[in-house]
Amino acid sequence: MRDAYLIAMNELRVTIRNPFWAVSSLFQPIIYLLLFGPLLNGVAASRGLPGGDNAVQFFAPGLLVMNALFAAGFEGFTLRDKLDSGFIERLRVTPISRLALTMGFILQSAINLIIQSIALIVCGAFFGLHFDIGGSILLVLLIVLIGITMSSISFRLALIIREGGILAGIVNTFVLPAMILSGIMLPISFGPPIIQFIAKFDPFLYAVDASRALINGAIGDPSVWMAFAIFIALSVITLGVFIRGMREAVA
Amino acid sequence: MTDSIIHTEKLCKRFAGPKKEVVEAVRDLDLDVAKGEIFGLLGPNGAGKTTTMRMLCTLLSPSGGKATITGFDLARQPHEIRRHIGYVGQKGGMEHVASGRENLMLQAQLYRMSKDEARRRSNELIERLKLTAFADRKTETYSGGQRRIFDLASGVIHSPQLLFLDEPSTGLDPQSRARVWEEAKVLHEQGTTVFLTTHYLEEADALCDRVAIVDQGRIAAIGSPAELKKQIAGDIITLGYEDETRAKAAFQLLEGQRVILEKHDLGTSLQLYVDRGDEALPEILRIVGQGNYPAKSVSLTRPSLDDVFLKLTGRSLRGDGGQS
Ligand SMILES: Nc1ncnc2c1ncn2[C@@H]1O[C@H](COP(=O)(O)OP(=O)(O)O)[C@@H](O)[C@H]1O
Ligand SMILES: [Mg+2]
Repeated sequence: MRDAYLIAMNELRVTIRNPFWAVSSLFQPIIYLLLFGPLLNGVAASRGLPGGDNAVQFFAPGLLVMNALFAAGFEGFTLRDKLDSGFIERLRVTPISRLALTMGFILQSAINLIIQSIALIVCGAFFGLHFDIGGSILLVLLIVLIGITMSSISFRLALIIREGGILAGIVNTFVLPAMILSGIMLPISFGPPIIQFIAKFDPFLYAVDASRALINGAIGDPSVWMAFAIFIALSVITLGVFIRGMREAVA
Repeated sequence: MTDSIIHTEKLCKRFAGPKKEVVEAVRDLDLDVAKGEIFGLLGPNGAGKTTTMRMLCTLLSPSGGKATITGFDLARQPHEIRRHIGYVGQKGGMEHVASGRENLMLQAQLYRMSKDEARRRSNELIERLKLTAFADRKTETYSGGQRRIFDLASGVIHSPQLLFLDEPSTGLDPQSRARVWEEAKVLHEQGTTVFLTTHYLEEADALCDRVAIVDQGRIAAIGSPAELKKQIAGDIITLGYEDETRAKAAFQLLEGQRVILEKHDLGTSLQLYVDRGDEALPEILRIVGQGNYPAKSVSLTRPSLDDVFLKLTGRSLRGDGGQS
């Protein structure tokens, strides 16, 4: 486990000091809050939003889920890069176990998400977000589970796909519809029945519902345990698949 | 052999090729490398050198056969082997966005050194190898030579008994290559066994105690560079021609000449192995001259490892096909 920690800290250090990291992880959400927030306020005024008419209260929790979707979903790129440069191969000749190597990358991705999520909540507060402390801690935990799921899938794909462009295409193909159907941007209840029906199969719908409940401290809301059940299961499965992939692809 | 640090028996590796055909990258490899040797695998691209090395480094599982590395069984004790070997792959393996020093620190800590120990060892190597000037820059800003020396440093950070170097000087400028060689020699003097691959004859010749010449996954010959060259008795006469037709015609003229031990048609030149070059040359020139195919150029050389390779495989190491 010390090895996993070493790998994670090493990766985290080089990730965080990249200026692009700060920009992409904070600048984008702020733009959303700044530009999309007022738009959504208009919607809130005319049609009303579930959970009150405060657009930030509706949108900011979803933004956390969205960040997890994209940030973790594209983690595969960093792995691809490290596979190509021979860095992974170099690590594999050291006495560190395959499992520690794998967990190092997952841990790095999780810590990264925790930092970004906290920054996002603090940011949201400036835009008038009210957050319940206990609920928010659970929310960050849920975000970590989503992150493990997404980064495991992304890492696993990176082991198979050698071309960065193709990798981006595949990730986008899945992440975009998953995001729209989750009701991050607009409530799914606005859509026609068919969309509402399909959205029921989008696990992120439950995550977004749960995140809205959690930010308000509604820990007992049924969406919360649903989301946790779904993402505990998904993260265990995807992580297992990634660990196996790492064993085989780079045995 | 009991004092072999690498011992393999019928080691082989098959890959599925692009059209599902079987690629036999390494075939029935029997190898013994003694402690303290600098041992080289010499062969053209695609000969199976990297595949062999990756198997011996526990990176790739063999399709068949067995091996013992540093006294441990490759199939059952890869973990023990990893503690005793160092590996510098063809691509190096530095993390681009970290500095050379950070790369060394991580490597040292993964070999179970404490943070202080890791720092001390990294500093020591950085100083000894004169890397101080750029040790704290990101490795993506390094020149090929600077990166290569750092690769080497990370390969020896834990003072391994056995160091694997895959094409250590490919693509390097002459000064950097000299530094890599120098460092390999220093390690050799300190008792480290070095196993390297190369497609440079000069490298094999200058650096290695023993060389295995590999071609198409097989060992064609094995021995010290001097022994290998001795397999080719005498001298080599090379006749150059304007075109292949003239070369071929001259080749036919020389058919059955007893002074020529062996001859190869290399396209626009002919290579003739003779016992005594000084005596054979006038005779050969007379024959091709009288036959109206005088050579455009003539040279008389001592055999090189390339000639050994050519003799064994019928192909030249320098060119990519048969012509040189
Ligand atoms: N992962 C792989 N999958 C399929 N074929 C491979 C793989 N690695 C190497 N080969 C094939 O095995 C042969 C030997 O390759 P390699 O060991 O890299 O040669 P060398 O290092 O001597 O240039 C080549 O024909 C190469 O195409
Ligand atoms: Mg190679």
